Amino acid sequence: MIALWDGLPAETQDIALVVLLILPALIVGRIVLRGYAPWPLIGALLWRFRWANGLFVLLIAVSVGMGIGLLAQERGLRQGTAAAADKFDLVVTAPGSEITMMLAAVFLQPSDVPLLDGATYAAIAGHENVALAAPLGFGDSFGASPIVGTTAEFAIHLSDGRIEGRMWQDYGEAVVGALTPLQIGDGFIPAHGVGDGAEHDAHGGEELHVVGRMGATGTPWDRAILLPIETVWDVHGLANGHAPEHGEQIGPPFDPAYFPGTPVIIVRANELWANYALRSEFITDRTMAFFPGTVLGNLYRVLGDIRQAISLMTLVTQSLVAASVLLGLFILSNLFQRQLALLRALGAPARFVFAILWSYGAVLLVVGAAFGTVLGMIAATVLSRVISARTDILVSAPIGWSEIHYLAGFISLMTLLSLLPALAAFRKSIVAGLRS
Amino acid sequence: MLTRRAFALIALTFPLAARLYAQEGTIKLRDLYNKDLSFSELAISLEGKRIFVDGFMAPPLKAESDFFVLTKKPMAVCPFCESSADWPDDILAIYTKRTVKVTPFNVKILVHGVLELGDMTDPDTGFVSRVRIVDAKYK
Amino acid sequence: MTMPLSVTDCVVRSDRGRVLLSVPSLELGPGVSLGIRGPSGAGKSTLLYALAGLSDRAEGSIRWGDTELLALSTARRTQFRAAWIGMIFQDFLLFDELGALANASLPAMFAPRSDRSALKTRAGAQLAHLGITALKRTVDSFSGGERQRVAVARALSNDAGILLADEPTASLNRDAADALIADLVAKVRNNGKTLIAVSHDAHLLDSMDQIISLTDGQIETPSGARPA
Repeated sequence: MIALWDGLPAETQDIALVVLLILPALIVGRIVLRGYAPWPLIGALLWRFRWANGLFVLLIAVSVGMGIGLLAQERGLRQGTAAAADKFDLVVTAPGSEITMMLAAVFLQPSDVPLLDGATYAAIAGHENVALAAPLGFGDSFGASPIVGTTAEFAIHLSDGRIEGRMWQDYGEAVVGALTPLQIGDGFIPAHGVGDGAEHDAHGGEELHVVGRMGATGTPWDRAILLPIETVWDVHGLANGHAPEHGEQIGPPFDPAYFPGTPVIIVRANELWANYALRSEFITDRTMAFFPGTVLGNLYRVLGDIRQAISLMTLVTQSLVAASVLLGLFILSNLFQRQLALLRALGAPARFVFAILWSYGAVLLVVGAAFGTVLGMIAATVLSRVISARTDILVSAPIGWSEIHYLAGFISLMTLLSLLPALAAFRKSIVAGLRS
Repeated sequence: MLTRRAFALIALTFPLAARLYAQEGTIKLRDLYNKDLSFSELAISLEGKRIFVDGFMAPPLKAESDFFVLTKKPMAVCPFCESSADWPDDILAIYTKRTVKVTPFNVKILVHGVLELGDMTDPDTGFVSRVRIVDAKYK
Repeated sequence: MTMPLSVTDCVVRSDRGRVLLSVPSLELGPGVSLGIRGPSGAGKSTLLYALAGLSDRAEGSIRWGDTELLALSTARRTQFRAAWIGMIFQDFLLFDELGALANASLPAMFAPRSDRSALKTRAGAQLAHLGITALKRTVDSFSGGERQRVAVARALSNDAGILLADEPTASLNRDAADALIADLVAKVRNNGKTLIAVSHDAHLLDSMDQIISLTDGQIETPSGARPA
């Protein structure tokens, strides 16, 4: 049995789980409604109390929507940030906080980071299993765009080669991210620093030119302006990474003696095992090496605990809302007590009245849950847009299987619970009902 | 190519390995290989079957992926040397059924999935693996 | 198809134990119509509900043909009602959100699947016979007379042999009431049904075969004697 289950594809398991979770509701519905055709009557009662019912549905929808939106959003955030870190297998920096360094290197959050020297860079770049070793030079900006000095190989790696226009070939040239306001052919003057404190005239007004534009990556790098790292060193009045006799060279190899330093080296290995070997090799007293994927994975683990607490809370809230709605229904059922007594007088069994009451509640729950799903999707979409706009991390939060499981479980649980108020059908005296 | 001596060695180790498997139901990483790093009889006999392997989750390269590396020892420090020579019998590529939830590198996990032998290049990362557990779950 | 009624020593008490109705003996032949009159609170409706098997507090014997109603469980009494009795109320008790046909064929919703289409056909035929042609329009737009006709069609949809009516004309104007009385009496006469109607309406009572008067839960006029 377990072996059979393990052998099923994930999708089949998910579908099976939905069926399993919704099954109690279906079975109860089948048993309660067996032999009856009460839908026109239920429709009539629902329509009679449409305002109260609308309010009930809204309450359920909002509570369900919050739960679903939150679950979808959390996953969307995880996937978005994970995708943003996809191009960054191994990051080598000076020792410090992995999270700070990851935020700086992967998510381009400005922070004060110490430098790695030329010898370290040469050791990494020269390693036999290293396919790509890109220095990143931060610190300057243009408007809202951080300026990052690096190598052409990294720009191509980052954009998967999708560069409109061309790659830089000289000092004064730049390649911009998809969300920067600059167009190919525009000139700009970098400011020293980032944000409100940036000094606009610090670099003597040397104008740079945009020659290429990268395709959208869905990461904060879409906002960035990429330059040859030599340019960044140069405008700061540092050596440019090459011996004077190669002074015009752009890109690696760099001469360690003329290497001013880089806060971050992005490494891509040509073999899986080499990532681990390099990581352990460069965890030294002067360098730190980490996988952004691991840092994020650990963050998600912590987030996952929080999510579980939050989803438990929303589930409780949701159940309380649904329970109060059922209580409301119970009270409402007094309003149509006469109609229910009439049915009994016409020869309807108590079970028929029970079926009417249960179906009434079940319809509200299912409709509320359906609207809640739509609400949750809208909420998650809006929230994703806001987050994407603020962070430049492409976040999309479509409804996934876990939300559908959550819904199915909620519907089953509540339809079982709504058997309780429907029991009122058995307790009322028919004569009292007719006279009321 | 197997030498006569290696063959004898397999013949000796195989019943032992098989018994271990039978007792615990759990494969040790090293049992999948012969001394010359060819696949063991046990590995070949279990190819395409669902097996249990225990070990530790190496810090994953990617977040939200369906892939991780299972190591024999916790990877506080790199358990293998700087060359690929020790790579095969110390670590195992795991392709999971569902997105990996990261387990700390020092917590022992039990992986359950289908054993696959032979070189395969990961279409996403381009990394090559010789042995894999696919469609895996772990706890 | 109908059957005779025989009530013996039937007592209905309120939940505080006060006697609401006490009928030592009431006999009614099959296919006979009976009017029940009396002041408000005399126990007329209580008697009608007891005869329908709706009362939980009735003691003694209420016998329809061979069926001792008070000996049956609630569920069996419900079954008996579904098979034999049609009920009509003062304020119609229709579902305003449903059309005439849906209201008239309401018992089809809980009838066995095999009986449903026959029941609906019968409800439609009764409506047509009673002059209701707008079958789909919701009944909230109907006049009082039309609504009570729908209620009558509903009472007859199960081909009940016994019709129990509680002030069926009290909510209608004189003309509508007279028309309804004519239709109702014609229906029971032509089809040999038993009709028991609680009413203050002299026109209705005059059309009945027999009349009894209730005061304080007691029958005054001996049954079987129609006032001249």
